[in-house]
Amino acid sequence: MVSGMATFRAALSSASLGSVRSSLGARVGSGGADKPPRYSAAGLFIKGARREEWPRVWREVDLARSYDAIIIGGGVHGLATAYYLATNHGITNVAVLDKAYLGSGGSGRNTAIVRSNYLTPEGVAFYDRSLTLYNSMSTDLNLNVMFSERGHMTLAHTDGALRTMNWRAEVNKLQNIDSSVIDPAEVKKLAPSLDVSGDTRYPILGALYHPPGGTIRHDAVVWGYARGADHRGVQMHQRTEVFDILCEGGDGPDGKGPGGRVTGVRTNRGDISAPIVVNCTAGWATTISDMAGVRLPITTHPLQAAVTEPVKVFLPTVVVSGSLHVYVSQTDRGELVFGASVDPYATYSMKGSLEFTEELAGHVLELMPGIGRMRLLRQWAGLCDMTPDYSPVMGFTPVDGFLCDVGWGTYGFKAGPVSGEQMAEAIATGRTPKLIEPFALSRFAAGDLVGEKGAAAVGH
Amino acid sequence: MQRLATQPGEVIDRSRPLPFTWNGKPHRGFAGDTIASALAADGVRIFARSMKYHRPRGLLTADYWDPNAFVQVGSDPNVRAGHRLLEAGMDVSAQNVWPSLEYDIKAANGLVGRFLTAGFYYKTFMKPARLWPVYERVLAQFAPGGTVDYDSAHEYFDKRYTHPDVLVAGGGPAGMASAIAAADAGASVMLVEHEHDLGGYLRWGDGAQRELADDLRASCDAHDGIEVLRNATVTGRYEDNWCAVVQRDHPHAVERLIKARAKTLVVAPGLIERPYVFAGNDKPGVLLSGAARRLMNLYAVKPGQRAVVLTANADGDRTVTDLERVGVDVARVVDARAGATVVAAHGGAKAVESVELSDGSSVDADLLVTAVGWTAPTSLLNLAGDRPVYDPQAARFFSDRVPDNIVVTGGLAGDGSAAELVEHGRATGELAARRAAVVAHTLQRLTSRAAPVADDTAQSMPPDDRSPLTRDAHPELFRSSTHGIVDYSEDVGSKDLVAAATEGYDSVELIKRFTTATMGPAQGKLETVNTVAVLAEARGETIAEVGTTVWRPPFAPVTLGALGGRIFEPVRVSSIQPWHEAHGARPILAGQWVRPEHYGDPEGEVRNVRGNVGIIDVTPLGKLDLRGPDVAKLLAHLYTNKWAKLPVGGVRYGVMCAEDGVVMDDGVTGRLGDEHYLMTTTSSGAAGVWEWAENWLQTEHPDWQVHITPVTTAFTSINVAGPNSRELVSRLTAIDLDSDAFGYMQVRRGEIAGAEGCFMWRIGFTGELSYELHVPSGYGLAVWEALLEQGADLGVAPFGLEAQRIMRLEKGHFIVGQDTDGLTRMPTVGLNPLIKLDKPDFAGKVELREAVEDDTLPRLVAIQPDDPDIVPVEASQIVRAGTNEILGRITSSRRSPTLGRSICLGQVAPEAAAPGTTLTVVLTTGQRISAKVMEHHAHFDPDGERQRV
Ligand SMILES: Cc1cc2nc3c(=O)[nH]c(=O)nc-3n(C[C@H](O)[C@H](O)[C@H](O)COP(=O)(O)OP(=O)(O)OC[C@H]3O[C@@H](n4cnc5c(N)ncnc54)[C@H](O)[C@@H]3O)c2cc1C
Repeated sequence: MVSGMATFRAALSSASLGSVRSSLGARVGSGGADKPPRYSAAGLFIKGARREEWPRVWREVDLARSYDAIIIGGGVHGLATAYYLATNHGITNVAVLDKAYLGSGGSGRNTAIVRSNYLTPEGVAFYDRSLTLYNSMSTDLNLNVMFSERGHMTLAHTDGALRTMNWRAEVNKLQNIDSSVIDPAEVKKLAPSLDVSGDTRYPILGALYHPPGGTIRHDAVVWGYARGADHRGVQMHQRTEVFDILCEGGDGPDGKGPGGRVTGVRTNRGDISAPIVVNCTAGWATTISDMAGVRLPITTHPLQAAVTEPVKVFLPTVVVSGSLHVYVSQTDRGELVFGASVDPYATYSMKGSLEFTEELAGHVLELMPGIGRMRLLRQWAGLCDMTPDYSPVMGFTPVDGFLCDVGWGTYGFKAGPVSGEQMAEAIATGRTPKLIEPFALSRFAAGDLVGEKGAAAVGH
Repeated sequence: MQRLATQPGEVIDRSRPLPFTWNGKPHRGFAGDTIASALAADGVRIFARSMKYHRPRGLLTADYWDPNAFVQVGSDPNVRAGHRLLEAGMDVSAQNVWPSLEYDIKAANGLVGRFLTAGFYYKTFMKPARLWPVYERVLAQFAPGGTVDYDSAHEYFDKRYTHPDVLVAGGGPAGMASAIAAADAGASVMLVEHEHDLGGYLRWGDGAQRELADDLRASCDAHDGIEVLRNATVTGRYEDNWCAVVQRDHPHAVERLIKARAKTLVVAPGLIERPYVFAGNDKPGVLLSGAARRLMNLYAVKPGQRAVVLTANADGDRTVTDLERVGVDVARVVDARAGATVVAAHGGAKAVESVELSDGSSVDADLLVTAVGWTAPTSLLNLAGDRPVYDPQAARFFSDRVPDNIVVTGGLAGDGSAAELVEHGRATGELAARRAAVVAHTLQRLTSRAAPVADDTAQSMPPDDRSPLTRDAHPELFRSSTHGIVDYSEDVGSKDLVAAATEGYDSVELIKRFTTATMGPAQGKLETVNTVAVLAEARGETIAEVGTTVWRPPFAPVTLGALGGRIFEPVRVSSIQPWHEAHGARPILAGQWVRPEHYGDPEGEVRNVRGNVGIIDVTPLGKLDLRGPDVAKLLAHLYTNKWAKLPVGGVRYGVMCAEDGVVMDDGVTGRLGDEHYLMTTTSSGAAGVWEWAENWLQTEHPDWQVHITPVTTAFTSINVAGPNSRELVSRLTAIDLDSDAFGYMQVRRGEIAGAEGCFMWRIGFTGELSYELHVPSGYGLAVWEALLEQGADLGVAPFGLEAQRIMRLEKGHFIVGQDTDGLTRMPTVGLNPLIKLDKPDFAGKVELREAVEDDTLPRLVAIQPDDPDIVPVEASQIVRAGTNEILGRITSSRRSPTLGRSICLGQVAPEAAAPGTTLTVVLTTGQRISAKVMEHHAHFDPDGERQRV
């Protein structure tokens, strides 16, 4: 596998990258549509006064028969990859394909918690870069993604949990991440609705507090990247489902598998050719990689979430409890958003279960006994692509031209920006950027897993 | 509005007036009133302010779904005033208003409405970025909803399980008729009605309709086979008809969640009347026909003085009759079937004053009633996989395909007279009962422990032989020629939707997300179809082409209290815990257990164990009783080492790894008899190991004959440790404790302190000579007290978890989950000799084969800080000198009273693992200290002589 990759890199830099560059040349000048109007308060005022309409966030265009790169999956990862390909590398002859609508996968279903207080140095460096990108995203994308840096608090109910919190805090400090262990009195100050009395079944002994963590408006991130990519010439195609990946020269049937190369995709709207195909399909990741003959150590599990009816805002931070398998934050609209850990069985079904809401509510009331009369309004589920070490699979695969950015499990939303940036770099340069080296597919064969498992179980 | 003279079908009890307050002012209603009807009868027209523009809002549907009638009742937020029954002394107030309902400052937002289009916040507040937190706080001010008092006491909620043959969702004519028919056929039936009484739309109907309702209701209430739940809702239908029912009027619980496994589910929730979109459609005084008729006929409230009625159906026509009957001047009836419609409602800020019609005329009126059709609440069917299909002739959605353990009747199935609905309901009930019998038969046949069935052949589900209800033609009326509100709770108008579609948010899912239409408390029951219709119009497509979004559970919101119920996660304690508490033990929560951390002086406890003898309650140790001819095979599969040759009376230590080679548990297992073993696990691992073992037995090796019984709490476990332990234990038992007769790592059974059925083994977590006694729980305390009594002269004293942790650290024993983590493979802990790769198979073998060769894995080592007085906090990082590069961490640390210095265990990179290596440890203060890697894991008695004596 490793040697296969080496030859692939060589091939990419000489052949496929060459074609990317040359076609890029052809597109320069034709890439930009009319410069779309910027979003601003003044813009709102003028449009309102003149009763004008805003142009489409992203255009609807005909599907071409060939692209320099095809990205499968219109979630935050696929769209960010497209956006940075265009923005940072000038590669714009790119199509993002989604079988449903943009953001229909995990990107539109997640609870939008972002943070960088991970456990391993690799994790910290990576997620911290994402947080940096999120911080300036509203201005970069000229669309308010409502990043709310409201702080992120992971509660400890046992000695053991407290020890893990200390561990994370110590690692974070060495990496200059603002993250520390606080005592119950400080917890109470930050979130007065929590019962820190110690008389509860799961007393709150302390918490890991991470002020730069927070929440973001997930749909806005999706639309922002789509709009930004569109402005630079990338095409978004919704309701375009990939049925097969076309390959040649591989060991397996139909030229698929290690040693081969990708030539395009087959969709419900016909075949499209491309030297580069990127798998950004999260919960469906293995269905796509199978089409190229690449095996991934990923299983798909549902993750459920729920919201309550809105009430006046009373919970200013994100609260996570690993032992109780629950986390909660309150939106600016006043709804409490709840999440938990993945369901323990593998399935592609996105039906919610009653048990989930029962356990969730029971545990939330453990933390905040006073909110029993709040009502649960809606529950839903999304799919999570779980890897054995709670870390992603990113970059090149043994099939030339086929890249993956998957294995995002329950924590991938926050990683969208940095993943897009790094994947774009990998595609444009043909080399694996340092930041994502630890996440190569080859680590599973080499036994070189990333150590986030200890801390990430409900650590979205 | 005002209270009318007695109405024939009214549900209020005029002999029981109830005083209450509204925004602090006194009001009065009657028993039977909802909060909304009482306020309306008292002349209140404005109930709320809209979310974004703070426009005044009055009643719209006057029922549970009324988007304008959310109120705060005491500390209870978001109470549905259209549904909640009035109680004496209620403190009711409007939500989301400032400073008051009548004069709301944020109403100024209405003036800038055209700049605050849906999703406007995505387009602004971006610069300067540092001001976003300020904007955010301002936006949060607009959060709708009431106020939660999070300091209020935890209230009583409840749960119940039930297994009805037939569960009927909806107590209208069709639902009641199906319940009766199903019960007549012998089925046990649970009939669930969302409103306060059975009857559905018949309740506010004419005399004949009410009489029919009374008859059906009486039959339901009298029928032994039917349990009727009023003011309860079937909120969800999950796999295999696992249904959630929320009961709101339980006498003792605030709410109760009933979990019903129904053999068949009858879905009969009726229809929900749909608002009409036109300019001014959210002004107080615009009512849906159902609301007007409820107010008049159930609560004797006159809804206005002078009315315009827009009607497209018989309900609208009946509203005209009712209005005239109660003396409302019906100024104009606008018949949509003849093509006429309403264009706009005009008026001051607070109420309708005139209505503009499509013929260009304008009619003065303070009441506008619309009857333009219905939305089919197909939620329960969607949850069963149905994708409803739009029928343009009937102007509503119908379910397409449902599994055969669900039967649909009433308005969801079609139209008809009350008699026809009852007939369809009867046929439905019979079908449901027959299908329930088949389900029951199948379950009994397939359940091995059930009584044998008389006829053991598979039965198939009876086909649906009901004659279908017809579908009445109905004009498609969604939006007039003007723009109005589509989603009242979210303050989203049709204009917003059109703008969003133009901007590219042009599928149902995207438009919903962008504008938040249908995301409010009614979850689309009033809004979805109008949203779809407006979107279809904007895209030039049909409603069927646009489709609907998925309705997600629950059907009606459920309190967290009801879902959570009472918490059934009791803290576990050993049978000796009361003694510990009485003797000054400081409790500590360890996993599910509360146990003594220490009795005042942990270091003293250590010294006493090392010098004399101590006893510790180790009941939380997981204990699994294993029996059968294949136990050794199971053990060999779960543990990395070998088990075939363990003799009866022998005890062996083992480490379990997950399939990725990561250490998951450890403990000792003793062989008590030929085919009888006892396994101990870590306290926190007990449940997980049991599941793990069962998983292997049930899925991979069903041929192995092993029975596993968890016996953790069946035995009280006491470890007696210290040089005097042999003498002490010998005073309580006849078992020969002589070292030759009962050596280290052996187990014996017998009587201890007169208690039968005990066993004990010689092991040594503390490193001392020690005996672990396992006594039937009932004798635990007696044995404990006997030990203390008999050992007084030997210096016996209890010791707690902390002393044990110190001693095990002195001995260098690792704790799974503390010294190991989610990635620690077995070679890290230094027990490679226990990995027997020559066994044919065991859990983790494949990974471990690689791991034992891997020289990059971290190593667990004993560490001693150079300064014996510094105890680095557990989790302190070990770094490469002069850098922040992490090489490892301290996993355990304590001051050792035995050695008089600090001692640690830690995981370090292999390059730093050699004995004698100097490490740099970063304390939590940031200070860096140096420490040394030790030769052995054990800081004390590395050869283990003390425990073997
Ligand atoms: C309930 C829930 C809560 C979560 N909470 C958090 C959180 O708080 N913080 C966090 O960081 N992460 C969270 N996550 C995880 C996060 O949502 C995901 O990791 C992330 O959104 C993945 O983004 P993506 O772009 O890779 O994939 P997705 O957004 O899932 O996009 C994949 C897309 O691929 C498309 N697709 C699939 N198959 C095909 C095909 N054959 N052809 C064409 N298109 C196809 C799908 O339609 C989909 O749109 C949560 C997830 C869930 C489900």
